[in-house]
Amino acid sequence: MKALRPVAVLALLLAVPRLGICACDPVLDSSRIAVAGGSITEVLYFLEAQDRIVAVDTTSTFPKEAQAFPSVGYVRGLSTEGLLSLRPSLVIGEEDMGPPEVVKQIDMAGVPVIKIPETPTSEGILQKIRCVAKILDMSSKAESLIAEKLSPMVAQLNQVRSGASSSPAAALILDAHSGSLMSAGNTTSGHGFLEMTGAENVFADFSGWKPVTSEAILSSNPDFIVVSLLSAESRQPPVIPLQGSRIDSQVIAMDATAILGFGPRTIQAALELAQTFHASSDLAPGYRD
Amino acid sequence: MRWIICMLFSCSVLCAGVAGLLVGAVDLSLASILTKADADLERMILTEIRGPRVLLAGCTGAALAVAGAALQGLFRNPLAEPSLIGVSSGAALGAIAIIVLGPSLAIPAILEPYALPLAAVAGASLVTLFLYGFSVRYGQFGIVTILLVGIAINALAAVGIGIFQYVSDDASLRTLTFWMMGSFGRATWQTLLPALMLMTAGIVPIFYLVRSLDVLQLGEAEAFHLGIDVNRVKRSVILCSAATVGAGVALTGIVGFIGLVVPHLVRLLLGASHVYVIPASALLGATLTMLADLLARVLFAPAELPVSLITSALGAPFFLWLIARARPR
Repeated sequence: MKALRPVAVLALLLAVPRLGICACDPVLDSSRIAVAGGSITEVLYFLEAQDRIVAVDTTSTFPKEAQAFPSVGYVRGLSTEGLLSLRPSLVIGEEDMGPPEVVKQIDMAGVPVIKIPETPTSEGILQKIRCVAKILDMSSKAESLIAEKLSPMVAQLNQVRSGASSSPAAALILDAHSGSLMSAGNTTSGHGFLEMTGAENVFADFSGWKPVTSEAILSSNPDFIVVSLLSAESRQPPVIPLQGSRIDSQVIAMDATAILGFGPRTIQAALELAQTFHASSDLAPGYRD
Repeated sequence: MRWIICMLFSCSVLCAGVAGLLVGAVDLSLASILTKADADLERMILTEIRGPRVLLAGCTGAALAVAGAALQGLFRNPLAEPSLIGVSSGAALGAIAIIVLGPSLAIPAILEPYALPLAAVAGASLVTLFLYGFSVRYGQFGIVTILLVGIAINALAAVGIGIFQYVSDDASLRTLTFWMMGSFGRATWQTLLPALMLMTAGIVPIFYLVRSLDVLQLGEAEAFHLGIDVNRVKRSVILCSAATVGAGVALTGIVGFIGLVVPHLVRLLLGASHVYVIPASALLGATLTMLADLLARVLFAPAELPVSLITSALGAPFFLWLIARARPR
């Protein structure tokens, strides 16, 4: 046993440390919040708690005024000292905030770091809002805001989905301007979003985001191709390199941060898309533009 | 004269280190840390964040500069620089292989912190050995040839990295992204330990090879006749420089041009003898890298620049100047 002790001590020293807390327990002081993740910023604005924000990351592009806060860099490239220099009393982030070493260092500095769990469903979004609200000790306000603004949309979304006779086939592609068609396989946020709208993901047989050829899209022949655009301004549908093919999919451009962020806006985006799907499925084939 | 310059270099390392500890996004004052009782956060920032970070920046800079100087001596080529000739990419490929394949390899938890640096060292060694084998087989590298071979190796490594990115699952892709954005910000005392051990193990033997490296400049046959065990020297330089580069890359990602700029500056000031070039490169490399990291931290605080942006912004023009100077007029 004795011989093992140095080994045990070394193992303790080298053990990978716990990274952030993953719970929605209220914190003592939520007066100065640093946010790492666009959807969390969105949730704070939804809860009208934006006056507690002291800093956001570069993915926090909505609402526009959130960009006026000091930037702590990209959600996966945070800087310990930069964050601490803003003297936050709390750091809230998406599940993928990092690097892990930085998260650990902030935790060690005595600032609670909370990663909000994400489930890509309507219910998951409501849970995310409830989780943040519980941390900030404003659950009752959250419930009334959800009841007022989101629950009607969720109900409407469910109604559109259950009223549809068939589920349309769709593909979701990241910003196609770069030329490669990065498509959402299963396990991606894009897959979750398509499921929210009641569509079948035609690329559900691979996992992760993978580049696909236009031929693959052609052969799977989705009813809809949803393109997620990185800038909200350019709502122009991008040109997908399918020219000359006789594909009759409808191309729909949507704001990436709205559909893939899984904040409050995602419910509205899913509802709009579901309505588009089912409105045009009543039209005769060939009528689509 | 040389000793004065070396003393100045030593002072500059100290100054850069102290500046790195005292300047940053958070305002620290030594007085309040020493006197105030409630300065726990300041103390923690100094000892747990800036301390390991400055140490890692200094050691990586010294390691890259020494590796650059030693490789330039070995190849008898002034452009042999770890990131230009592909040694850093080889290290990166090794590290990425461990990040992606590691979870399925069932590495014992106790060895985990060592797996990444060791894989990076293995990658760097492979590339260096290949470069050396190539130069033995096809004759001495000219300045242009070594750069072309470097381009080819960097391209091959990029293919490997792309393949690993393609096959990696969500979790390892995430780790990969963190790692590729490399900076000194990920330094903690725990992760620092294995890398520092490897760097020391790489740098120290090179200090004992300075005379041999000097003699090697006459040519391999001449060095052999002067009583140098040429093969042993070559093997040692290759393994040691790969160890230092690999250990640095494993923790920080690729930091370019330190290994090129520093030995050249040192040679301009102190002459070409490795007796001076190697130690002075270590000192100057540490200074410059700590200062580059300091800039990376404060320029856009509270966000942070990748440190390789700064070293490359300073190093690339220097590289162009070197090429222009080497051309006959």
